[in-house]
Amino acid sequence: MSDRNSDFGGLPVDELVAKADAALGQRKTRVRDSHWVRTWDHFRREWQIYVMLLPTIIWFIVFLYKPMYGLQIAFKDYSIFRGVANSPWVGFEHFQTLFSNDQFIRAVRNTVTISFYNLLFGFPAPIILALMFNEIINATYKRTAQTIVYLPHFISSVIIAGIVITAFSPTAGIINTIISWLGFDPVYFLTQPEWFRPIFVGTGIWQEAGFGSIVFLAAIAGVNPSLYESAVVDGANRWQMMWKITIPSILPTILIMLIIRIGNIMEVSFELVILLYQPSTYETADVVNTWVYRQGLQSGQYDLAAAAGLFNAVVAFVLVMTANTLSRRFSRTSLW
Amino acid sequence: MSGVELDGIVKAYGALQVVHGIDLNVAEKEFVVLVGPSGCGKSTTLRMVAGLEEITEGDLTIDGRRMNRVAPKDRDVAMVFQNYALYPHLNVADNMAFGLRIRKMPKAEIATTIADVAEILGLTPYLDRRPADLSGGQRQRVAMGRAIVRHPKVFLFDEPLSNLDAKLRTQMRAEIKRLHNRLGVTSIYVTHDQVEAMTLADRIVVMNDGRIEQVGTPMELFNHPANTFVAGFLGSPPMNQIKGVLTETGAKIGNTEIKLQGAINGHAGRDVIVGIRPEHVTLGQTAETSSLPIELDLVEPLGSEALLHARYGNDNMVFKADTNGDIAHLSGVEEVHVPAHLVKLFDAETGRALALGA
Repeated sequence: MSDRNSDFGGLPVDELVAKADAALGQRKTRVRDSHWVRTWDHFRREWQIYVMLLPTIIWFIVFLYKPMYGLQIAFKDYSIFRGVANSPWVGFEHFQTLFSNDQFIRAVRNTVTISFYNLLFGFPAPIILALMFNEIINATYKRTAQTIVYLPHFISSVIIAGIVITAFSPTAGIINTIISWLGFDPVYFLTQPEWFRPIFVGTGIWQEAGFGSIVFLAAIAGVNPSLYESAVVDGANRWQMMWKITIPSILPTILIMLIIRIGNIMEVSFELVILLYQPSTYETADVVNTWVYRQGLQSGQYDLAAAAGLFNAVVAFVLVMTANTLSRRFSRTSLW
Repeated sequence: MSGVELDGIVKAYGALQVVHGIDLNVAEKEFVVLVGPSGCGKSTTLRMVAGLEEITEGDLTIDGRRMNRVAPKDRDVAMVFQNYALYPHLNVADNMAFGLRIRKMPKAEIATTIADVAEILGLTPYLDRRPADLSGGQRQRVAMGRAIVRHPKVFLFDEPLSNLDAKLRTQMRAEIKRLHNRLGVTSIYVTHDQVEAMTLADRIVVMNDGRIEQVGTPMELFNHPANTFVAGFLGSPPMNQIKGVLTETGAKIGNTEIKLQGAINGHAGRDVIVGIRPEHVTLGQTAETSSLPIELDLVEPLGSEALLHARYGNDNMVFKADTNGDIAHLSGVEEVHVPAHLVKLFDAETGRALALGA
């Protein structure tokens, strides 16, 4: 007993423990609300926001998530009479068929090539346009120029295709008229495979570069005006300010748009290809989506078309993930 | 001589004139502060000196050369902006080197200059950091560094401390003052903070509504304000201004007569505004003071002193009193005593200071 008392100022250990327990009992215990309680509180407080979110969620479920159920036909011998659930599984048979199909391989090659040209020429176009708009001082001229370049975006692809077909027509098209004036023979542009890609990419730029520049113009508008004033005092001219201030300042926006663009690399504008291509230009014009359309809807091979669509989606997913990771690592900018 | 001379400077945006003929001479190595309320034209004036705003009328001369049509880069001025204007994509060293690279200074010389200025400003450990990774005070220093490396003839500061918290502002204020003493570069500094103006300036220019109200050393302006605006703008809390009428021996405000010093003979019956600085009153009476009965409303302790918010008739007034470590004795104050030699008089109509009284 003497040992038990010696270290605690003479108090017996039992008494000390009892005192400590009493002291602890008096202390208020802090209870942290569970995650669910806090979530519920948050929901009750901010329910209006969730109500506003609802239409978007429903749209996603109906048009993007529910159709995923149908993706399984990529692995089945699908029959519309037996339905999705009752069609027999065939594993990767359709993918084997796809990769042994020369036309599909050609479509993949065309998709990647056209996308690459789109990225190479189509991606910088709205940035350059935005930088040019930013340099226009006269407000009226600027507004007029902007309206003119935004306009093609609001025109239906069918009309755009009509304009292109008319413009490149060997008999009445303006291009061939000019060629004739110069003393050359008319060129049948839209029937020659080597002309499809330049015309397609050029049309895409004409249609979308103006509207695409809005995002970059908005980013430019967000650049702190003091940066330019400071540069003016430091002696920078407009060219130097564009290279040293504007472009670096909008670089995060450029990178985000690039990531999104890379995510859509397998999504070449389906309608425009359908409207502009013809069997004589399939060699350079037929892309995965048009191939899927012909196989799925026109030939009724839904399972094969689903497999091609799934392949497309997987490639796009891998690309966007890679681009996002690289961007986050090297520039601190990323989509998520 | 790298002085700055503004001669009848006017700024108008279309029909709207915002600066109405500024005349000001800033001597070489002088630190001049333009102070005034928001919208008084002080920043516009500074921006005209920098070349960021066109001068509508008048002449701007820097170092003896007319600068109206000279591009900002050729004026040899450096400006520190309110929001620092640091390039977010460049690190501290590159931010500071920006202007030097534009001017094609040799790389080795740039490196030496940056190293020297970074050392002066205590920025050496942060040279490879981006502005986002710096504190407010450090960013402010980088902004100053960017101006200093250029070795300009004139420094222009546009409210450089207004984005800092009170403590940091006091600290940076002292640093700017030390830096000016060390570099001796002609400086024009814009602020709406009268404490900054008082502490930094060799001379203060008080502006109001696009015009200069008064130019002088801080103490000249504090002790001899030219008008009620300057009297109300400089000093914290501002000077109490009460309507009164001159008598043969002083100024009558309400039923109280305040004794005045100086020549007031022959002015009896003239309407005036009586100015009493909050810190000039005493709680004890002497032969040279007049008693002003007040209704004490509120006592705000500030530590060594306290603010007494009081009413006199329909006028609200604020006075300062020493606490001597306790404010209990202040709660019963019923009158303050106004020293005759410190009372200011202004014309009731024009608001101009009268050469009567003190």
